[in-house]
Amino acid sequence: MKQEIIIAGFGGQGVLSMGKILAYSGLMEGKEVSWMPSYGPEQRGGTANVTVILSDDPISSPILNEYDIVIILNQPSMDKFENKVKPGGILIYDGYGIHTPVKRTDISVYRVDAMDAATEMKNEKAFNMLILGGLLKIVPMVKLENVLLGLKKSLPERHHKLIPMNEAAIKKGMEIIQKM
Amino acid sequence: MAEDIKLMKGNEAIAHAAIRYGADGYFGYPITPQSEILETLMAEMPWETTGMVVLQAESEVAAINMVYGGAGTGKRVMTSSSSPGISLKQEGISYLAGAELPCLIVNVMRGGPGLGTIQPSQADYFQTVKGGGHGDYRLITLVPSSVQEMADFVGLGFDLAFKYNNPAIILADGIIGQMMEKVVMPPFRPRKTEAEIIAECPWAAQGKLKNRKANIITSLELDPAKMEENNIRFQAKYRKIEENEVRYEEFHCDDAEYLLVAFGSSARICQKVVEIARGEGIKLGLLRPITLWPFPTKAIAAYADKVKGMLSVELNAGQMVEDIRLAVNGKIKVEHFGRLGGIVFTPDEVLAALKEKLF
Repeated sequence: MKQEIIIAGFGGQGVLSMGKILAYSGLMEGKEVSWMPSYGPEQRGGTANVTVILSDDPISSPILNEYDIVIILNQPSMDKFENKVKPGGILIYDGYGIHTPVKRTDISVYRVDAMDAATEMKNEKAFNMLILGGLLKIVPMVKLENVLLGLKKSLPERHHKLIPMNEAAIKKGMEIIQKM
Repeated sequence: MAEDIKLMKGNEAIAHAAIRYGADGYFGYPITPQSEILETLMAEMPWETTGMVVLQAESEVAAINMVYGGAGTGKRVMTSSSSPGISLKQEGISYLAGAELPCLIVNVMRGGPGLGTIQPSQADYFQTVKGGGHGDYRLITLVPSSVQEMADFVGLGFDLAFKYNNPAIILADGIIGQMMEKVVMPPFRPRKTEAEIIAECPWAAQGKLKNRKANIITSLELDPAKMEENNIRFQAKYRKIEENEVRYEEFHCDDAEYLLVAFGSSARICQKVVEIARGEGIKLGLLRPITLWPFPTKAIAAYADKVKGMLSVELNAGQMVEDIRLAVNGKIKVEHFGRLGGIVFTPDEVLAALKEKLF
Protein backbone atom coordinates (compact mmCIF):
# COMPACT_ATOMS: atom_id res chain seq x y z
CA MET A 1 0.00 0.00 0.00
CA LYS A 2 1.35 3.41 -0.94
CA GLN A 3 -0.13 6.90 -0.54
CA GLU A 4 1.41 9.73 -2.55
CA ILE A 5 0.14 13.03 -1.19
CA ILE A 6 0.77 16.71 -1.80
CA ILE A 7 -0.43 19.47 0.51
CA ALA A 8 -0.36 22.93 -1.04
CA GLY A 9 -1.37 26.34 0.25
CA PHE A 10 -0.04 29.59 1.68
CA GLY A 11 3.00 29.77 3.95
CA GLY A 12 1.71 30.17 7.50
CA GLN A 13 -1.27 27.83 7.01
CA GLY A 14 0.65 24.98 8.59
CA VAL A 15 1.21 23.13 5.32
CA LEU A 16 4.69 21.87 6.17
CA SER A 17 3.81 21.00 9.76
CA MET A 18 0.69 19.10 8.71
CA GLY A 19 2.90 17.11 6.36
CA LYS A 20 5.36 16.55 9.16
CA ILE A 21 2.68 15.25 11.52
CA LEU A 22 1.40 12.93 8.79
CA ALA A 23 4.94 11.68 8.16
CA TYR A 24 5.54 11.09 11.87
CA SER A 25 2.21 9.28 12.12
CA GLY A 26 3.34 7.01 9.29
CA LEU A 27 6.61 6.41 11.10
CA MET A 28 4.66 5.40 14.23
CA GLU A 29 2.61 3.05 12.06
CA GLY A 30 5.85 1.37 10.94
CA LYS A 31 5.61 2.65 7.37
CA GLU A 32 8.30 3.97 5.05
CA VAL A 33 7.91 7.75 4.82
CA SER A 34 9.28 10.65 2.84
CA TRP A 35 8.61 14.36 3.43
CA MET A 36 9.84 16.74 0.75
CA PRO A 37 9.09 20.44 1.27
CA SER A 38 9.20 23.22 -1.26
CA TYR A 39 11.88 25.30 0.42
CA GLY A 40 11.93 28.38 -1.78
CA PRO A 41 12.06 31.84 -0.26
CA GLU A 42 8.68 31.06 1.32
CA GLN A 43 7.21 33.38 3.85
CA ARG A 44 3.87 34.00 5.45
CA GLY A 45 1.49 34.63 2.56
CA GLY A 46 3.71 33.03 -0.13
CA THR A 47 2.92 29.62 -1.55
CA ALA A 48 4.23 26.48 0.12
CA ASN A 49 3.79 22.79 -0.55
CA VAL A 50 5.00 19.48 0.77
CA THR A 51 5.01 16.01 -0.75
CA VAL A 52 4.42 13.21 1.74
CA ILE A 53 4.70 9.55 0.78
CA LEU A 54 3.62 6.76 3.13
CA SER A 55 4.39 3.27 1.90
CA ASP A 56 4.74 -0.33 3.00
CA ASP A 57 7.72 -0.68 0.64
CA PRO A 58 10.88 1.42 0.23
CA ILE A 59 10.18 4.74 -1.50
CA SER A 60 11.95 5.53 -4.76
CA SER A 61 11.46 9.14 -5.84
CA PRO A 62 10.49 11.87 -3.36
CA ILE A 63 9.55 13.99 -6.42
CA LEU A 64 6.39 12.88 -8.25
CA ASN A 65 4.49 13.51 -11.49
CA GLU A 66 1.05 13.04 -9.96
CA TYR A 67 -0.54 12.19 -6.65
CA ASP A 68 -3.12 9.85 -5.13
CA ILE A 69 -4.29 12.66 -2.86
CA VAL A 70 -4.03 16.40 -3.44
CA ILE A 71 -4.91 18.75 -0.59
CA ILE A 72 -5.49 22.30 -1.76
CA LEU A 73 -5.67 25.23 0.61
CA ASN A 74 -5.62 28.24 -1.73
CA GLN A 75 -6.49 29.30 -5.28
CA PRO A 76 -2.94 29.34 -6.73
CA SER A 77 -2.51 25.74 -5.55
CA MET A 78 -5.84 24.75 -7.15
CA ASP A 79 -4.61 26.21 -10.44
CA LYS A 80 -1.32 24.35 -10.15
CA PHE A 81 -2.30 20.96 -8.74
CA GLU A 82 -5.86 20.09 -9.86
CA ASN A 83 -4.39 18.40 -12.93
CA LYS A 84 -1.86 16.47 -10.86
CA VAL A 85 -4.42 14.17 -9.21
CA LYS A 86 -4.16 10.62 -10.58
CA PRO A 87 -7.32 9.50 -12.39
CA GLY A 88 -9.53 7.99 -9.69
CA GLY A 89 -7.61 9.92 -7.05
CA ILE A 90 -8.77 12.29 -4.36
CA LEU A 91 -8.84 16.09 -4.15
CA ILE A 92 -9.59 17.73 -0.81
CA TYR A 93 -9.92 21.49 -0.53
CA ASP A 94 -10.80 24.16 1.96
CA GLY A 95 -13.78 26.16 0.69
CA TYR A 96 -12.39 29.49 1.91
CA GLY A 97 -10.58 31.46 -0.78
CA ILE A 98 -11.20 28.99 -3.62
CA HIS A 99 -13.01 30.83 -6.43
CA THR A 100 -13.11 28.26 -9.22
CA PRO A 101 -15.07 25.01 -8.98
CA VAL A 102 -13.15 21.76 -9.51
CA LYS A 103 -13.34 20.82 -13.21
CA ARG A 104 -12.11 17.23 -13.00
CA THR A 105 -14.84 14.59 -13.14
CA ASP A 106 -12.60 11.52 -12.98
CA ILE A 107 -11.62 12.04 -9.34
CA SER A 108 -13.35 12.15 -5.93
CA VAL A 109 -13.65 15.69 -4.59
CA TYR A 110 -14.13 16.58 -0.93
CA ARG A 111 -14.48 19.89 0.83
CA VAL A 112 -13.51 20.69 4.42
CA ASP A 113 -14.54 24.16 5.58
CA ALA A 114 -11.61 24.25 7.95
CA MET A 115 -11.08 28.01 7.91
CA ASP A 116 -14.69 28.56 9.03
CA ALA A 117 -14.43 25.84 11.68
CA ALA A 118 -11.13 27.23 12.98
CA THR A 119 -12.71 30.68 13.26
CA GLU A 120 -15.65 29.15 15.09
CA MET A 121 -13.22 27.36 17.44
CA LYS A 122 -11.51 30.75 17.91
CA ASN A 123 -8.24 29.00 17.09
CA GLU A 124 -6.80 29.61 13.65
CA LYS A 125 -3.88 27.29 14.50
CA ALA A 126 -6.34 24.36 14.48
CA PHE A 127 -6.74 24.89 10.71
CA ASN A 128 -4.28 22.29 9.48
CA MET A 129 -5.46 19.66 12.00
CA LEU A 130 -9.05 20.14 10.80
CA ILE A 131 -7.83 19.38 7.29
CA LEU A 132 -5.83 16.38 8.53
CA GLY A 133 -8.94 15.07 10.29
CA GLY A 134 -10.90 15.35 7.05
CA LEU A 135 -8.19 13.48 5.17
CA LEU A 136 -8.07 10.68 7.74
CA LYS A 137 -11.85 10.28 7.61
CA ILE A 138 -11.72 9.72 3.83
CA VAL A 139 -8.50 7.69 3.77
CA PRO A 140 -7.73 6.19 7.21
CA MET A 141 -4.11 5.58 6.25
CA VAL A 142 -2.89 5.90 9.85
CA LYS A 143 -4.65 5.15 13.13
CA LEU A 144 -5.66 8.12 15.28
CA GLU A 145 -3.54 6.81 18.16
CA ASN A 146 -0.49 6.91 15.89
CA VAL A 147 -1.37 10.45 14.78
CA LEU A 148 -1.36 11.48 18.45
CA LEU A 149 2.01 9.76 18.89
CA GLY A 150 3.18 11.52 15.73
CA LEU A 151 2.05 14.86 17.16
CA LYS A 152 4.01 14.16 20.30
CA LYS A 153 7.13 13.34 18.27
CA SER A 154 6.91 16.32 15.94
CA LEU A 155 5.97 18.99 18.47
CA PRO A 156 8.57 20.37 20.85
CA GLU A 157 7.82 19.33 24.45
CA ARG A 158 6.69 22.82 25.48
CA HIS A 159 3.82 22.47 23.01
CA HIS A 160 2.65 19.05 24.21
CA LYS A 161 -0.13 20.74 26.20
CA LEU A 162 -1.67 21.61 22.82
CA ILE A 163 -2.13 17.96 21.84
CA PRO A 164 -5.72 17.69 23.22
CA MET A 165 -6.70 20.79 21.20
CA ASN A 166 -5.16 19.22 18.09
CA GLU A 167 -6.99 15.94 18.76
CA ALA A 168 -10.29 17.84 19.06
CA ALA A 169 -9.57 19.62 15.77
CA ILE A 170 -8.78 16.33 14.01
CA LYS A 171 -12.09 14.85 15.25
CA LYS A 172 -13.98 17.99 14.20
CA GLY A 173 -12.39 17.76 10.74
CA MET A 174 -13.62 14.18 10.45
CA GLU A 175 -17.16 15.44 11.12
CA ILE A 176 -17.24 18.39 8.73
CA ILE A 177 -15.67 16.92 5.58
CA GLN A 178 -18.26 16.55 2.82
CA LYS A 179 -18.28 14.87 -0.57
CA MET A 180 -18.90 17.24 -3.45
CA MET B 1 9.60 -0.11 16.12
CA ALA B 2 13.20 0.19 17.21
CA GLU B 3 13.86 3.32 19.23
CA ASP B 4 16.85 4.22 17.06
CA ILE B 5 14.74 4.82 13.93
CA LYS B 6 14.29 8.56 13.57
CA LEU B 7 12.60 10.83 11.05
CA MET B 8 14.83 13.70 10.06
CA LYS B 9 16.17 15.92 7.29
CA GLY B 10 19.34 14.93 5.49
CA ASN B 11 21.09 17.97 6.93
CA GLU B 12 20.08 17.04 10.47
CA ALA B 13 21.28 13.48 9.88
CA ILE B 14 24.76 14.78 8.97
CA ALA B 15 24.95 16.75 12.22
CA HIS B 16 23.80 13.90 14.46
CA ALA B 17 26.05 11.41 12.65
CA ALA B 18 29.07 13.69 13.13
CA ILE B 19 28.54 13.81 16.89
CA ARG B 20 27.99 10.05 17.06
CA TYR B 21 31.05 9.34 14.94
CA GLY B 22 33.22 11.13 17.47
CA ALA B 23 34.10 14.12 15.29
CA ASP B 24 36.35 16.62 17.07
CA GLY B 25 35.27 19.80 15.35
CA TYR B 26 32.88 21.45 12.93
CA PHE B 27 33.59 24.86 11.44
CA GLY B 28 30.98 26.42 9.18
CA TYR B 29 29.07 29.41 8.00
CA PRO B 30 25.32 29.36 7.28
CA ILE B 31 23.94 29.14 3.75
CA THR B 32 20.70 27.66 2.40
CA PRO B 33 19.98 24.80 1.77
CA GLN B 34 22.35 23.34 4.38
CA SER B 35 22.03 25.67 7.37
CA GLU B 36 20.37 22.94 9.45
CA ILE B 37 23.76 21.21 9.78
CA LEU B 38 25.22 24.09 11.81
CA GLU B 39 21.85 24.79 13.43
CA THR B 40 21.43 21.18 14.63
CA LEU B 41 24.99 21.01 15.92
CA MET B 42 24.48 24.24 17.85
CA ALA B 43 21.19 22.95 19.30
CA GLU B 44 22.73 19.61 20.30
CA MET B 45 25.65 21.38 22.09
CA PRO B 46 28.07 18.44 21.71
CA TRP B 47 30.83 20.48 23.41
CA GLU B 48 29.05 19.66 26.65
CA THR B 49 28.83 15.92 25.97
CA THR B 50 31.54 14.58 23.64
CA GLY B 51 33.69 17.71 23.73
CA MET B 52 33.23 18.32 19.99
CA VAL B 53 33.89 21.94 19.02
CA VAL B 54 31.19 23.62 16.93
CA LEU B 55 32.04 27.05 15.63
CA GLN B 56 30.35 29.52 13.32
CA ALA B 57 33.31 31.15 11.61
CA GLU B 58 33.34 34.70 10.25
CA SER B 59 33.33 33.38 6.69
CA GLU B 60 33.64 30.24 4.60
CA VAL B 61 37.31 31.03 3.99
CA ALA B 62 37.93 31.16 7.74
CA ALA B 63 35.98 27.92 8.26
CA ILE B 64 38.03 25.87 5.77
CA ASN B 65 41.27 27.24 7.24
CA MET B 66 40.11 26.22 10.72
CA VAL B 67 39.61 22.76 9.22
CA TYR B 68 43.16 22.98 7.81
CA GLY B 69 44.49 23.77 11.27
CA GLY B 70 42.43 21.14 13.06
CA ALA B 71 43.25 18.46 10.48
CA GLY B 72 46.94 19.24 10.87
CA THR B 73 46.72 18.11 14.50
CA GLY B 74 45.19 14.77 13.49
CA LYS B 75 41.72 15.71 14.71
CA ARG B 76 38.56 14.62 12.93
CA VAL B 77 37.31 17.95 11.65
CA MET B 78 34.73 18.95 9.11
CA THR B 79 32.98 21.82 7.41
CA SER B 80 29.85 22.17 5.31
CA SER B 81 28.41 24.70 2.91
CA SER B 82 26.45 25.04 -0.32
CA SER B 83 27.77 25.80 -3.80
CA PRO B 84 28.80 29.50 -3.53
CA GLY B 85 30.33 28.84 -0.11
CA ILE B 86 32.17 25.78 -1.41
CA SER B 87 33.66 27.96 -4.17
CA LEU B 88 35.07 30.20 -1.44
CA LYS B 89 36.64 27.16 0.25
CA GLN B 90 38.51 25.95 -2.84
CA GLU B 91 41.90 27.46 -1.94
CA GLY B 92 41.77 25.77 1.46
CA ILE B 93 40.71 22.46 -0.07
CA SER B 94 43.68 22.55 -2.44
CA TYR B 95 46.00 23.28 0.53
CA LEU B 96 44.49 20.38 2.51
CA ALA B 97 45.01 18.05 -0.46
CA GLY B 98 48.53 19.40 -0.97
CA ALA B 99 49.40 18.87 2.71
CA GLU B 100 47.78 15.39 2.57
CA LEU B 101 45.42 16.09 5.43
CA PRO B 102 42.26 14.10 6.17
CA CYS B 103 39.03 16.03 6.69
CA LEU B 104 35.38 15.91 5.72
CA ILE B 105 33.69 18.55 3.57
CA VAL B 106 29.95 18.60 2.87
CA ASN B 107 28.46 20.41 -0.15
CA VAL B 108 24.66 20.55 -0.28
CA MET B 109 24.47 21.87 -3.83
CA ARG B 110 22.18 24.66 -5.05
CA GLY B 111 21.70 26.19 -8.48
CA GLY B 112 24.43 28.42 -9.90
CA PRO B 113 26.51 29.94 -11.30
CA GLY B 114 27.19 32.85 -8.99
CA LEU B 115 24.85 33.25 -6.06
CA GLY B 116 22.25 31.55 -8.28
CA THR B 117 19.29 30.11 -6.45
CA ILE B 118 18.66 28.15 -3.26
CA GLN B 119 16.93 25.32 -5.12
CA PRO B 120 18.53 21.88 -5.69
CA SER B 121 21.18 21.39 -8.36
CA GLN B 122 24.03 19.03 -9.26
CA ALA B 123 26.07 21.54 -11.20
CA ASP B 124 29.14 21.26 -8.95
CA TYR B 125 30.17 17.90 -10.43
CA PHE B 126 33.06 19.40 -12.40
CA GLN B 127 34.15 21.54 -9.47
CA THR B 128 34.24 18.52 -7.17
CA VAL B 129 35.73 15.78 -9.32
CA LYS B 130 37.87 17.78 -11.75
CA GLY B 131 39.60 20.14 -9.38
CA GLY B 132 37.87 23.23 -8.13
CA GLY B 133 41.04 24.39 -6.43
CA HIS B 134 44.39 24.57 -8.21
CA GLY B 135 46.86 21.77 -8.81
CA ASP B 136 46.73 18.05 -9.53
CA TYR B 137 44.63 16.80 -6.66
CA ARG B 138 41.57 14.64 -6.11
CA LEU B 139 38.77 14.60 -3.56
CA ILE B 140 37.23 11.33 -2.43
CA THR B 141 33.64 12.12 -3.45
CA LEU B 142 30.71 10.33 -1.79
CA VAL B 143 27.21 10.99 -3.10
CA PRO B 144 24.29 10.16 -0.81
CA SER B 145 20.88 9.52 -2.34
CA SER B 146 18.97 9.10 0.92
CA VAL B 147 18.87 10.56 4.40
CA GLN B 148 20.28 7.23 5.63
CA GLU B 149 23.31 7.68 3.41
CA MET B 150 23.74 11.26 4.65
CA ALA B 151 24.22 9.73 8.10
CA ASP B 152 26.29 6.74 6.95
CA PHE B 153 28.68 8.71 4.74
CA VAL B 154 29.88 10.92 7.59
CA GLY B 155 31.64 7.93 9.14
CA LEU B 156 32.64 6.47 5.77
CA GLY B 157 33.98 9.85 4.64
CA PHE B 158 36.12 10.31 7.74
CA ASP B 159 37.35 6.69 7.56
CA LEU B 160 38.41 7.03 3.92
CA ALA B 161 39.98 10.45 4.57
CA PHE B 162 42.11 9.00 7.37
CA LYS B 163 42.88 5.81 5.43
CA TYR B 164 44.41 7.81 2.58
CA ASN B 165 45.34 11.11 4.28
CA ASN B 166 43.16 12.97 1.83
CA PRO B 167 40.11 15.25 2.08
CA ALA B 168 36.78 13.54 1.46
CA ILE B 169 33.62 15.33 0.37
CA ILE B 170 29.95 14.44 0.69
CA LEU B 171 28.31 15.85 -2.43
CA ALA B 172 24.60 16.20 -1.67
CA ASP B 173 21.97 18.59 -3.00
CA GLY B 174 19.02 20.58 -1.73
CA ILE B 175 16.63 17.65 -2.09
CA ILE B 176 18.63 15.22 0.02
CA GLY B 177 19.46 17.98 2.50
CA GLN B 178 15.89 19.17 2.97
CA MET B 179 13.84 15.99 2.72
CA MET B 180 12.88 13.94 5.78
CA GLU B 181 13.11 10.16 5.77
CA LYS B 182 13.56 7.36 8.23
CA VAL B 183 17.10 6.98 9.38
CA VAL B 184 18.86 4.57 11.70
CA MET B 185 21.59 6.47 13.48
CA PRO B 186 25.05 4.93 13.76
CA PRO B 187 26.10 3.92 17.29
CA PHE B 188 27.97 6.38 19.47
CA ARG B 189 31.72 6.03 19.49
CA PRO B 190 34.07 8.04 21.64
CA ARG B 191 36.33 10.72 20.18
CA LYS B 192 39.95 9.66 19.71
CA THR B 193 42.19 10.39 22.67
CA GLU B 194 45.43 12.37 22.25
CA ALA B 195 47.41 9.14 22.74
CA GLU B 196 45.39 7.40 20.00
CA ILE B 197 45.92 10.31 17.64
CA ILE B 198 49.69 10.32 18.29
CA ALA B 199 49.79 6.55 17.66
CA GLU B 200 47.56 6.58 14.55
CA CYS B 201 48.70 9.85 12.97
CA PRO B 202 52.49 9.99 13.30
CA TRP B 203 52.45 12.92 10.85
CA ALA B 204 50.20 15.11 13.02
CA ALA B 205 51.41 18.35 14.57
CA GLN B 206 51.13 17.41 18.23
CA GLY B 207 54.00 19.47 19.58
CA LYS B 208 57.63 18.31 19.45
CA LEU B 209 57.66 14.80 20.87
CA LYS B 210 60.91 13.38 22.36
CA ASN B 211 61.08 10.40 19.99
CA ARG B 212 60.82 12.28 16.70
CA LYS B 213 61.61 15.48 14.85
CA ALA B 214 59.00 18.24 14.63
CA ASN B 215 56.23 17.47 12.16
CA ILE B 216 55.74 20.18 9.59
CA ILE B 217 52.36 20.55 7.89
CA THR B 218 52.65 22.45 4.63
CA SER B 219 51.79 22.25 0.96
CA LEU B 220 54.75 24.49 0.07
CA GLU B 221 57.86 22.97 -1.53
CA LEU B 222 60.04 25.43 -3.42
CA ASP B 223 62.40 22.77 -4.82
CA PRO B 224 60.61 21.60 -8.00
CA ALA B 225 62.33 18.21 -7.94
CA LYS B 226 60.91 17.57 -4.47
CA MET B 227 57.56 19.02 -5.49
CA GLU B 228 57.47 16.59 -8.39
CA GLU B 229 58.21 13.74 -5.96
CA ASN B 230 55.31 14.94 -3.81
CA ASN B 231 53.02 14.96 -6.83
CA ILE B 232 54.15 11.49 -7.89
CA ARG B 233 53.32 10.27 -4.38
CA PHE B 234 49.87 11.91 -4.57
CA GLN B 235 49.22 10.29 -7.94
CA ALA B 236 50.25 6.85 -6.67
CA LYS B 237 47.81 7.32 -3.80
CA TYR B 238 45.04 8.39 -6.19
CA ARG B 239 45.60 5.26 -8.34
CA LYS B 240 45.29 3.15 -5.17
CA ILE B 241 42.01 4.88 -4.31
CA GLU B 242 40.75 4.33 -7.86
CA GLU B 243 41.66 0.66 -7.48
CA ASN B 244 40.04 0.13 -4.07
CA GLU B 245 37.28 2.60 -3.36
CA VAL B 246 34.90 2.68 -6.33
CA ARG B 247 31.32 2.33 -5.10
CA TYR B 248 28.13 2.11 -7.12
CA GLU B 249 24.71 0.51 -7.04
CA GLU B 250 22.77 -1.26 -9.80
CA PHE B 251 18.98 -1.22 -10.07
CA HIS B 252 17.30 -3.61 -12.54
CA CYS B 253 20.46 -3.77 -14.66
CA ASP B 254 20.57 -7.54 -15.26
CA ASP B 255 18.41 -7.65 -18.39
CA ALA B 256 18.55 -3.92 -19.21
CA GLU B 257 18.57 -2.82 -22.85
CA TYR B 258 18.95 0.82 -21.88
CA LEU B 259 20.73 2.30 -18.88
CA LEU B 260 20.16 5.45 -16.89
CA VAL B 261 23.20 6.74 -15.03
CA ALA B 262 22.35 9.13 -12.21
CA PHE B 263 23.69 10.13 -8.80
CA GLY B 264 22.22 11.54 -5.59
CA SER B 265 18.64 12.82 -5.74
CA SER B 266 18.53 12.27 -9.52
CA ALA B 267 19.11 8.58 -8.88
CA ARG B 268 16.06 8.51 -6.60
CA ILE B 269 13.93 10.08 -9.32
CA CYS B 270 15.41 7.65 -11.86
CA GLN B 271 14.38 4.66 -9.71
CA LYS B 272 10.82 5.77 -10.26
CA VAL B 273 11.54 6.20 -13.99
CA VAL B 274 12.75 2.58 -14.13
CA GLU B 275 9.56 1.43 -12.33
CA ILE B 276 7.34 3.33 -14.80
CA ALA B 277 9.36 2.20 -17.85
CA ARG B 278 9.30 -1.45 -16.74
CA GLY B 279 5.52 -1.10 -16.43
CA GLU B 280 5.50 -0.09 -20.10
CA GLY B 281 7.66 -3.09 -21.02
CA ILE B 282 10.86 -1.08 -21.54
CA LYS B 283 13.90 -2.95 -20.22
CA LEU B 284 15.49 -0.04 -18.38
CA GLY B 285 18.13 -0.18 -15.66
CA LEU B 286 19.82 2.37 -13.44
CA LEU B 287 23.47 2.58 -12.47
CA ARG B 288 24.03 4.91 -9.53
CA PRO B 289 27.61 5.99 -8.87
CA ILE B 290 28.03 6.31 -5.09
CA THR B 291 31.58 7.60 -5.52
CA LEU B 292 31.94 10.19 -8.28
CA TRP B 293 35.68 10.11 -7.73
CA PRO B 294 36.81 7.43 -8.03
CA PHE B 295 34.31 7.03 -10.87
CA PRO B 296 32.85 3.57 -11.69
CA THR B 297 34.51 3.65 -15.11
CA LYS B 298 34.99 -0.12 -15.41
CA ALA B 299 31.40 -0.94 -14.47
CA ILE B 300 30.06 1.54 -17.00
CA ALA B 301 32.48 0.31 -19.70
CA ALA B 302 31.22 -3.25 -19.10
CA TYR B 303 27.62 -2.15 -19.72
CA ALA B 304 28.66 -0.64 -23.06
CA ASP B 305 28.81 -4.25 -24.34
CA LYS B 306 25.37 -5.10 -22.98
CA VAL B 307 23.01 -2.16 -23.52
CA LYS B 308 21.93 -0.17 -26.58
CA GLY B 309 22.32 3.27 -25.07
CA MET B 310 22.85 5.26 -21.89
CA LEU B 311 21.23 8.42 -20.59
CA SER B 312 23.09 10.49 -18.03
CA VAL B 313 20.43 12.16 -15.90
CA GLU B 314 21.80 15.12 -13.95
CA LEU B 315 20.50 18.38 -12.49
CA ASN B 316 22.98 20.29 -14.67
CA ALA B 317 23.81 21.00 -18.31
CA GLY B 318 25.81 17.79 -18.81
CA GLN B 319 28.85 17.14 -16.62
CA MET B 320 29.02 13.47 -15.56
CA VAL B 321 28.04 12.56 -19.14
CA GLU B 322 31.61 13.41 -20.18
CA ASP B 323 33.04 10.75 -17.85
CA ILE B 324 30.45 8.22 -19.05
CA ARG B 325 31.42 8.92 -22.66
CA LEU B 326 35.10 8.43 -21.77
CA ALA B 327 34.24 5.09 -20.14
CA VAL B 328 32.07 3.94 -23.06
CA ASN B 329 34.62 5.21 -25.59
CA GLY B 330 32.22 5.58 -28.49
CA LYS B 331 30.81 2.03 -28.38
CA ILE B 332 27.19 3.09 -27.85
CA LYS B 333 25.13 6.26 -27.80
CA VAL B 334 25.42 8.26 -24.57
CA GLU B 335 23.06 11.21 -24.14
CA HIS B 336 22.38 13.66 -21.36
CA PHE B 337 19.17 14.99 -19.86
CA GLY B 338 19.03 17.69 -17.25
CA ARG B 339 17.16 20.66 -15.86
CA LEU B 340 19.03 23.78 -14.89
CA GLY B 341 19.25 26.45 -12.27
CA GLY B 342 17.33 24.73 -9.48
CA ILE B 343 14.47 23.18 -11.48
CA VAL B 344 14.02 19.48 -10.69
CA PHE B 345 12.82 17.08 -13.38
CA THR B 346 9.85 14.79 -12.77
CA PRO B 347 10.03 11.05 -13.59
CA ASP B 348 7.82 11.65 -16.68
CA GLU B 349 10.20 14.22 -18.11
CA VAL B 350 13.13 11.81 -17.75
CA LEU B 351 11.22 8.99 -19.44
CA ALA B 352 10.19 11.28 -22.30
CA ALA B 353 13.83 12.37 -22.73
CA LEU B 354 14.98 8.73 -22.79
CA LYS B 355 12.53 7.93 -25.60
CA GLU B 356 13.35 11.06 -27.55
CA LYS B 357 17.12 10.76 -27.32
CA LEU B 358 17.79 7.02 -27.44
CA PHE B 359 14.87 5.22 -29.14
